[in-house]
Amino acid sequence: MTDSTPHGSHTPADGPAVGQDEWVARHGEHQLLRGGRLGSAEARLRLVPWWAWLILFLAVFSLLPVVESSGYVRRVAFDTVLYMLLALGLNIVVGWGGLLDLGYVALYGVGAYTYAFVASGQFGVHLPTLLAVLVTVVVGAFVGFLLGLPSRRLTGDYLAIVTLFFLQLFQTLMTNADNVFGHDLTGGPNGILNVDPFHLFGHDLAVQHQGVFAVSYFYVALAVFAVVFVALRFVNFSRTGRAWRSLREDPLAAEAMGMPVNRLKLLSFSFGAAVAALTGSLFAALNASVFPLTFYFILLIVIYTMVILGGSGSQAGVVLGALIVGPLLELLRDPGKARILFYAALVGGVLFAFRRSRTTAIVSVGTIVFGFVMHVLASAHSASWVAGEKAGGAAGAVAHWVVVPAHLASWIPPTTYIGLLTLALLLTLIDRRVRLVLLVPTLYLAAFVWENVMLASPETMRYIVLGVILIGLMILRPNGLLGERRVEII
Amino acid sequence: MDTFIQLTIDGLTLGSVYALIALGYTLVYGVLKLLNFAHGDVFMVGSFIGFGVLQLLGGTSNPIVPIWALIVLITLAAIVGCSVLGVAIERFAYRPLRDAPRIAPLISALGVSFFLENSMQLLFGAQPRNYDTFSLANGALYLRGIDIGQVRLPLLRIITIVVAFVMMFLLWFLVTRTRSGKAMRATSFDREAAAMMGINIDRVIVFTFVLGSALAGVAGVMFGLRVPTNVTIGFVAGLKGFTAAVIGGIGSIPGAMAGGLILGFAESYTQGYVSTKWSDLFVFLILIAFMIFRPQGLFGRADIRKV
Amino acid sequence: MKKLIGLALAVLVASFAASTASAGPKVAASSQAVSCNGTLKIAIVTPLTGGAGFLGAEQASWAKYAVATLAKPLGLKIQLVLGDTPVEQGAAIAQTLAQKYVGDSKVMGVIGPATSGGAVASTKTYQQAGIAQISPSATSTQLTKAAPTLTGTPSFFRVVPGDYVQGPTDAHYMIDKLKAKKVVIIDFQEPYSVGLANAAQAVLKKAGVSVTRLSAPNTTTDYSAYVTKVPSDADIVFFPTQKPPDAQTFAQQLLEQGKKAKVFGSDGSNDSTAFKVPGSYVSNFAPDITGIAADKAIIAGWKKANPGKSVGSFGPPAYGATQVMMNAIKRACTAGHGSIKTKRDVLRQVKRVRINNWILGGTFRWSTKSNDPLNAKFYIFQIQPNGSYKLVG
Repeated sequence: MTDSTPHGSHTPADGPAVGQDEWVARHGEHQLLRGGRLGSAEARLRLVPWWAWLILFLAVFSLLPVVESSGYVRRVAFDTVLYMLLALGLNIVVGWGGLLDLGYVALYGVGAYTYAFVASGQFGVHLPTLLAVLVTVVVGAFVGFLLGLPSRRLTGDYLAIVTLFFLQLFQTLMTNADNVFGHDLTGGPNGILNVDPFHLFGHDLAVQHQGVFAVSYFYVALAVFAVVFVALRFVNFSRTGRAWRSLREDPLAAEAMGMPVNRLKLLSFSFGAAVAALTGSLFAALNASVFPLTFYFILLIVIYTMVILGGSGSQAGVVLGALIVGPLLELLRDPGKARILFYAALVGGVLFAFRRSRTTAIVSVGTIVFGFVMHVLASAHSASWVAGEKAGGAAGAVAHWVVVPAHLASWIPPTTYIGLLTLALLLTLIDRRVRLVLLVPTLYLAAFVWENVMLASPETMRYIVLGVILIGLMILRPNGLLGERRVEII
Repeated sequence: MDTFIQLTIDGLTLGSVYALIALGYTLVYGVLKLLNFAHGDVFMVGSFIGFGVLQLLGGTSNPIVPIWALIVLITLAAIVGCSVLGVAIERFAYRPLRDAPRIAPLISALGVSFFLENSMQLLFGAQPRNYDTFSLANGALYLRGIDIGQVRLPLLRIITIVVAFVMMFLLWFLVTRTRSGKAMRATSFDREAAAMMGINIDRVIVFTFVLGSALAGVAGVMFGLRVPTNVTIGFVAGLKGFTAAVIGGIGSIPGAMAGGLILGFAESYTQGYVSTKWSDLFVFLILIAFMIFRPQGLFGRADIRKV
Repeated sequence: MKKLIGLALAVLVASFAASTASAGPKVAASSQAVSCNGTLKIAIVTPLTGGAGFLGAEQASWAKYAVATLAKPLGLKIQLVLGDTPVEQGAAIAQTLAQKYVGDSKVMGVIGPATSGGAVASTKTYQQAGIAQISPSATSTQLTKAAPTLTGTPSFFRVVPGDYVQGPTDAHYMIDKLKAKKVVIIDFQEPYSVGLANAAQAVLKKAGVSVTRLSAPNTTTDYSAYVTKVPSDADIVFFPTQKPPDAQTFAQQLLEQGKKAKVFGSDGSNDSTAFKVPGSYVSNFAPDITGIAADKAIIAGWKKANPGKSVGSFGPPAYGATQVMMNAIKRACTAGHGSIKTKRDVLRQVKRVRINNWILGGTFRWSTKSNDPLNAKFYIFQIQPNGSYKLVG
């Protein structure tokens, strides 16, 4: 599902041929490196056209509400579709245009509020749905254009800060504009309530049926997603898309080649904003309300994680990122599921780091043995040291391995947490053998901290996991899962 | 007139803290060309370290050392703690990305900021913490001071302003009169040339982060002494510190000091004379105006990129 | 690399599948009767993270304590489920959580939503599914008062009186007892304080008191300029903050600048360990519970389970709300002979619950006219020189 085609050249064993750029040649080499059955399967998969993947995905995803009648799962699925849309929009600005836009969530808010302005009791205006959405998208694109204006003279970090300030500005404006010369414009901190639902094909779309989330909005969102995905795909492969790519790789060279750099930047901002505004209207209509605090820093980090994880620049990548991060955030709320995920990640991490080698066996067995030894020691010292929560199932099984005290002295969480951080960071500094030895207690300490400290506040823990993912991604694999490795040409 | 004097005092106090934070931004940007988003959260951690050490020393109701020793000790603790934190952040979150596209360390910084804020919340909870400086010597720090006309300048504010200025002077001295400072200035001017001249770039960068984070730690303690602190102050403090650095000219040390004070005054006067509700907005508009019309700030050099 | 991505995805999907295998049962299951011998769940919906996390953390700790101490004597096995609605995520998260609990057949009721915004967003969903919500802190008037703008539903209850009681009570005290002629009102640009400020301002203005209204962004930490703006002849500063340390600092800064105005806080500012500047006033929906003899054991037990934390004003109502909910569940169990057929049975019993030895003092009865406590009133305290709260009105 990548956007590139395999490079046809074949490099001779002693280096690239005369007249061929080495870096380009190596890139092609990578593509041909995987052999064997998996390699040929992969090669065949790459031949599947993108629209086939899209149709398959839509088909599977749209069956979800049929298979799963829990309102909660449906609701999470809907939220994930919204995230996918937002990720697609951010991809335009960050992935294709290469502009770090930290005010993106404000544009989402602009869309939601605009829809609330034109389709609620706030000003007494109740536009029909399609017109309201159209107005929202146009206004959103315009505000995106305004936000992009500073990008003509500012680059990189400065642009990031200006857009971040725009986010703060939007927040302040929306919270305070409930008394502008006596007029209530935005409902202030209470937001705007009773926003009109979508009215399509002669019916008001119902949000829920007997308290359970209905599927109408989900399918509307999915349809919007499909349309946006296809449209953006065509834009990406058009002249504009190619121009954006050249702008991203080297703005100076692009300008020297005669690209209208400023216009391109504004265009990418507007497109991204239009997608965000469209998503905002969906959001406002479903929730029948808008509040200012929704469109703030935390949401920004969540969307960025999705885009970076999936691979900025790759549409399929950011959708994949949203698919992973969205449900992950929900799953981590529940301590039971979070526990399963943690141990799966731990095992997966060890496997990934050491592949199938003796080291994996040593580390795994070592950690398990170490754990049992510590557990025996702890319970020998005092029964209350291992008498922590033992709600059956996975938690109970694990509690025989991890030391879970009944009462945690207040100095333990900060000390063990910071200790774990320090140990983990130190591990990256020391050499192999010592590292292996230290890895075992570190893994055990991680399990201890997880069980005792992090599972106590799943809400905060989710965000910590996000932060770690973001940092780790930038250091280890900045191109994410499906993105392309970029080389910055200075 | 009294209102004006009072607002000026308020602005000076606010501005001193902003200046200290802005200096951290400016130092790091000068050397690494990186906007350290996590700086505001280092400031927040500094205020918490101060609170923690304060409790260890008996709290403000029963301090086991004299007041001046108390303040000195918690400031030192914050300096040490924040320096360690700053060095760790640089070593593990920014150094691997030194040659990566510019966007990478910025996003990593966002991640660090998010991680720090939520880690502090996980460990210490979301409720505000009050140093409760008022309890020291029955409010002496609040009620005794120098009188200017009808307005009194309380001891606590004097301490805040003096400490901030002393720190700024020490920094200026370090940067202009010592070899390490000279190395820092050389690195910020042209990193490759400095490396070729035999300067250990890694060490210089670590030194810069130590300085910047130490200042943030001092700012955190000065902040905590006057108002309650909580885990969410990092974001807004970072934004304001950055505003101050940009107004003064990012990369310029006197600029950061001036920018901080200007920002403090702007905020104070706007709240006092115009409107408290829209003061934040006003300040942001000032920043955006600066960024569009004079991005190099008041004291900075216009950045000419050589192709 | 792609190989490992595939592997990672497979692991993720597998663990997701494994964990959802134990996920909440589907809607169909909730139509079956639930036995009272098994573990029943009560959900608490409150901001546990974010800017208002201190509120939720306190409520959650008291609700946990209520479950730990009161469930067994009632003969119930109750599990408390935490639902986090950070104010930064607004209404959407309240609705998502509502969906979650509607689909979970064991969740018998909801403590909360803690914020008025969350209540407005999710109460229709709960109403349709017949789940009772008892909120310990959503004080927006429109949630229970039958006005043209009623935003609540018959399934929404609260154990504390709304803004329509506290604002005017405070204002009347200022006018009648404190003879205030000049009052400064500060709000913090969020629903709680804005509601209270508006209610108090209306009463004050009607009585001819000169009112200066200031508005501070929610992220404000340094109020120096606001203190400067307080006129030197103002009598009272009405400061309905939910962060007692801010009220403390504000009062200290008033002294610092030599202003004679006294700080008047609301129930959110009620915390005798954090706000104790002598001469200030605080209003609360209950007398200080540390002064209620019957609560001594409860407070001691809570302090033991939560070392180092202080008793604030958000926690005890959560305890009370949980107590009411568990009593309603018990009644439903008894009426259903050991099992509960639908969640609506619990909802029906809520209004019939009466508690003697109510944690906030006296006995607890529901008002017959709305889903608020009967005869709800607010108490005014003045902070004494030794820092204690004395009941004055």
